[in-house]
Amino acid sequence: MTTSALDQALQKLERATSTPELVKATQALCALNDLEAAKPLVKVLGFNNPAVAAVATQGLIQLGPDIVPTLLVSLDARNYGARAWVVKVIAALRDPRGLDLLEHALQADIAPSVRRSATRGLADLELSEDAEHDQLERCFEGLLKAVRDDEWVVRYAAVYGLEQRLYSAAVSTHLAEQGRAALNQLASDAEGVRVVQLRALKALQRLNAG
Amino acid sequence: MEPLSETQVIKDLRQTEDPSAQYYAAWWLGKMRSQHPDTIPLLLRALAALDAAPIDPEQRGVALNAIRALGLLRDKRAEKALLALLHCNDYTVREEVVRTLGAMGSCGAVEGIRALLASGLEGAGAEQPSTPLLNEPCEALLEALGDIGDGSNSNLAVIQPFTEHPRPLIRSAACRALLQLTGLDQWGMELKKLLNHPEPLVRRGALLDLGATGWLAAVPSIRSAAVEPSLKLVALRALAERNDNPNDVLDAMDELL
Repeated sequence: MTTSALDQALQKLERATSTPELVKATQALCALNDLEAAKPLVKVLGFNNPAVAAVATQGLIQLGPDIVPTLLVSLDARNYGARAWVVKVIAALRDPRGLDLLEHALQADIAPSVRRSATRGLADLELSEDAEHDQLERCFEGLLKAVRDDEWVVRYAAVYGLEQRLYSAAVSTHLAEQGRAALNQLASDAEGVRVVQLRALKALQRLNAG
Repeated sequence: MEPLSETQVIKDLRQTEDPSAQYYAAWWLGKMRSQHPDTIPLLLRALAALDAAPIDPEQRGVALNAIRALGLLRDKRAEKALLALLHCNDYTVREEVVRTLGAMGSCGAVEGIRALLASGLEGAGAEQPSTPLLNEPCEALLEALGDIGDGSNSNLAVIQPFTEHPRPLIRSAACRALLQLTGLDQWGMELKKLLNHPEPLVRRGALLDLGATGWLAAVPSIRSAAVEPSLKLVALRALAERNDNPNDVLDAMDELL
């Protein structure tokens, strides 16, 4: 990749004023498939423009796990909108270096869609070999918190996550029991939302069959 | 802030000095699905403000919230009072009442709703001069007929013309109702076309309408529609809850999380 292509794309982004122009410029930046584009793409996430941010998010996910350190350092903690998109990218990349961020988002974020993405991330993060036990425990604790969320879609994501994590051979008996108990509760009438019940029943059926 | 207790909220709705406290209380009782014995009587009392002349604008707001709360509580005791309000000359009141009666599945409302739609595209479906409103809240009326589920020929005949309405969201509501009442794929195909509409608002509306119909053939189009995942999950939830074997729907939901 030549530097000039990146520079050109950045100039185009700089000059863009309308949403269609911004989308186009961001698409061009993504198409370079260049790690150097990660930083400006994170900046784009902070423009508070969902159409543009959606394009940048896809571009960042395409760049793969190599961008995780860049993501974590270029994240402007005060820019609420940008944080939400970064959570989505981290969740999609499944990189364990994002664990802190996901835990924090699940606990503190007001937007249900962000807590949903964070929960999904805790379900799917690939754990590091040297810290698997500790990380698995943290994922479980997060998922058990998500089980008590007020929003149905976060509880639904928690069911999905508990099912994924309960398949793992590395789960301690203690965690497995807690996870099963949570699924049983979500499958019962104590859960007010039918689709969450249905999903929990399906998870239990598959876990019991396997 | 301390969370409100139900006792306090009931007290807030009963008092009459502070309408904003009443407004919030009416909303809260619906949102929390209150089972308190005074809930329904007090919500019904709030509707009385709509009979006054002139109507106090603050009490009108409380009454509108009470109507919405009754839609969440779905208590048959409210039906009679709501049916009377179908003839209210306030457009927004009619709209909210129709939504509530639809949510309650009120068979008693079918005739009244049909009467409001009977004048068709030239009457109910025509635009009011110098406002964005139609003469009747057609979207809510069509949706309610579909939700109540009476597929008699006279209902189908009243709905059908609205599938040709100039506004895409009205067409969407009409197709939704016809799909619910007849189960015919042709109405589902029409809704799928609306999922490709250039306006995001229309795509969102058609997506939620498809969800409400429980039509399983909609799953692939819902997955690929250009609509945000949060809304797709809401539509798929509706679809899953209306089917005995929602496995494919749940798989599609897992992918969107």
